[in-house]
Amino acid sequence: MTATRRFPWAWPGQLRRCGVLGMNWRNANVILPGNPRAHYPRVDDKLLTKRICELYGIPVPQTYAVIGFPGDIRQFQERVRQRRDFVIKPAKGAAGRGILVVLDHDETTFTTASGEKITLADIRYHLETILSGLYSLGGQPDRAIVEQRIVRHPAFENIAVGGTPDIRVILYRCVPVMAMVRLPTRASRGRANLHQGAVAAAIHLRTGRTFGGVCRDRAVSAHPDTGAPIADLEVPRWNDLLTAAMKLADGLELAYIGVDFVLDATLGPVVLEANARPGLAIQIANRCGLRPRLEFIAAQPAQSLTVQRRFELVGALADME
Amino acid sequence: MNVRRIAPWVAGTLAVLGTVGVGLRLYARHHAQMRLGDAVWRVTYTVRFHAANAGARVQVAVPSDTPQARLFRQDVRYAGLESERAHRTRWQTREIGLIAPRPGDYTLTARFDIHLSPRAQWRAPAPEAALGADARADCLRSTKMTQADDPIVRQTLDHLRRGLPPKGELLQRIFDFCSNELHPGDERSPADAVGAIQQRAAVAVGRARAMAALCRAAKLPARLVTGFVVQETEPFEPHTWVEVLNGARWESYDPVNGFARELPHHFVPARRDGAEIVHASDVTDLRATYGVIPLPPGPEAVRAGHRRPWVILDLTRLPLEMHDVLEVILLMPLGALVTVLFRTLVGMRTYGTFTPTLIALSFIYNDWRAGLLTFAIVLALGLTSRALLDRLKLLLVPRLSVVLTLVVLCIIFAISLLDYVRLTPSAQAVLLPMVILTMMVERFYLTAEEDSPAFATQLLAATILVAAFCYLVLRWTTVGHFVLAFPEVHLFTIAALILLGRYSGYRLSELWRFRDLVTPGKRGGA
Repeated sequence: MTATRRFPWAWPGQLRRCGVLGMNWRNANVILPGNPRAHYPRVDDKLLTKRICELYGIPVPQTYAVIGFPGDIRQFQERVRQRRDFVIKPAKGAAGRGILVVLDHDETTFTTASGEKITLADIRYHLETILSGLYSLGGQPDRAIVEQRIVRHPAFENIAVGGTPDIRVILYRCVPVMAMVRLPTRASRGRANLHQGAVAAAIHLRTGRTFGGVCRDRAVSAHPDTGAPIADLEVPRWNDLLTAAMKLADGLELAYIGVDFVLDATLGPVVLEANARPGLAIQIANRCGLRPRLEFIAAQPAQSLTVQRRFELVGALADME
Repeated sequence: MNVRRIAPWVAGTLAVLGTVGVGLRLYARHHAQMRLGDAVWRVTYTVRFHAANAGARVQVAVPSDTPQARLFRQDVRYAGLESERAHRTRWQTREIGLIAPRPGDYTLTARFDIHLSPRAQWRAPAPEAALGADARADCLRSTKMTQADDPIVRQTLDHLRRGLPPKGELLQRIFDFCSNELHPGDERSPADAVGAIQQRAAVAVGRARAMAALCRAAKLPARLVTGFVVQETEPFEPHTWVEVLNGARWESYDPVNGFARELPHHFVPARRDGAEIVHASDVTDLRATYGVIPLPPGPEAVRAGHRRPWVILDLTRLPLEMHDVLEVILLMPLGALVTVLFRTLVGMRTYGTFTPTLIALSFIYNDWRAGLLTFAIVLALGLTSRALLDRLKLLLVPRLSVVLTLVVLCIIFAISLLDYVRLTPSAQAVLLPMVILTMMVERFYLTAEEDSPAFATQLLAATILVAAFCYLVLRWTTVGHFVLAFPEVHLFTIAALILLGRYSGYRLSELWRFRDLVTPGKRGGA
């Protein structure tokens, strides 16, 4: 790697030497051959993802209700009567769109995560827009999921601003190759999406400790709102999380995926969703490229690996830096 | 990783096929021969005028196709003038309309290459629908120069009618009278019907007018045709003859040259409304000169007479007025190629994959300034209304439909406004793709809400930039002509797209995006 940079941009040769995975390479040589289109619904439809998780014994937020037709909206009230808090989200939503978090309610007034008080009519409208497909990929009619609200684990209590952090693990051929924790910022308005301005710290694959960091495609090491360092935090139950990610990858049968977890105070890591086209900024957070890691995994024998063997590979990857 | 090797092979094969196609076509062109008796002529117009006001208008009639004459190439130049889309007026006249944006002197030059073939049947004689009441009245009207209701004309007609009732005979007598008894005059001879009949002599137009007036007085619908007798003469000037509706058929009569019922193949009409080839409003000093030269047989002219199935592959044989549209359609794949280049090599994100191409396509038929202005107005009003609609909490499809309706109204009133300020020559100048714009308003609004207004604006700017490049490509008439002549070059386009589809190098934007990756240790490295 070059130590100094004379130009404000990088040259293709430099990126190649750093093993940076570009969008075209990812699409043409990783996703197109490895992720069969027929398996996409397993990640695009969160209900299907949840069912696969349940099948493999991976913890997910409990589903309270699934609303598939405008007629079902009426039973919504009965279903949430005895639940104090819950989350409404579209089954095929993308980039955290259309998610409504309710902290408390008295059946007529609902308090959202931002402290706003809304009425039952507002909730109905939100459900209807979800069903009409406003938030779904490609605008297809969708279903709404009402599920358990995740109670934030105290691990990142002091560092996240206005939302719940999540942990993304990228797996290639069912082996975790890179991971990061994404922390909401004021700019991302509580959402943990990097392109909306959230900040992320890389997670060391063997130790589960954070290092590096990225925000708006720049290398950072502190939270942009609070200035608090984002390195050297420990992700609790890291090995459980990696095991769950590997099991889910087995179930999804997609070669290249990103699995998003949130840490629940009692359940530990629960799967939020999986993504068949995970973004590339994770490389900036890790200060290293994905390509050598993918090539390393691709060079392994093709038969399916035991969890034990995969942990060995993860260890080898962690030492590659 | 087999694909990686197959793709270049497929691309290479397509490129070879493309080369073979172009080669075969060139070979066929060089070895094809023109039919015996065919000729290729170039008719030229030079029109000079002084526009008295901004908005002065000039209308130029283009030579029409006949069964034996085929216009296969045209080139019209008009520096500083703005063009209206060529359109057809009544009587199958194709006109080029030009508008002067400011007062001043202007020159227009036009070249029309015409292939004449005495034995060809390129098109059935113009299939004209039954004469409407308006059109019929036009063909019987008495005008300043063609005074059908003048007593002198009536007297002459009564004289000609003496002793014979059947219609055909009367028409023949009128023709004989105009052809034989009206003599060619000099420059001072009258040019109107009454003058011609009184003096028994007239300029060429006057004799045609006299015939038209007599026919009209006899209640035979007649029209004056202005066109060209394509042959080497000096000076070369437009010629006027008469068409008379006899039963269901328009018959041509040229009293000056003595042709009745049918004209020789080198009579090429341009206008059928009795006006001159070039007419204008708000213009002074209008001078139009015409010329004709024989051309050596060119490739476009040689094969058009043959009716063999493989002429289907030859798009240049299609009527000239279709060429514009065909060329734009054929340039669309190049627009797509531009989109792919921006997406794959530059890494620029836009609203919708082909939205820029479609916007560019709509601008082709527009004045781009008027189009851009309308585009901005529609977008601004669409976004404002979309923001207001958000409070009504409407479901997706009804809401989109409301926005579509507003977009339609915006466009309609933009047309009205532009017409009011005389900025645009025609209504189709601002026909933007309404559904595309509606989706763009919706996407812009959602992106601004969900990501940030800055990002939404960035996407909009990228969309407009890509659209601008697509526009430049679609406007590239030289390439358009070439693709029309050699449509198989699109095999190269497909080959290029296949290679780009397998391109897995970095995007230009990624050189910027991952810049921090090559300077580790900036702050807290791994």
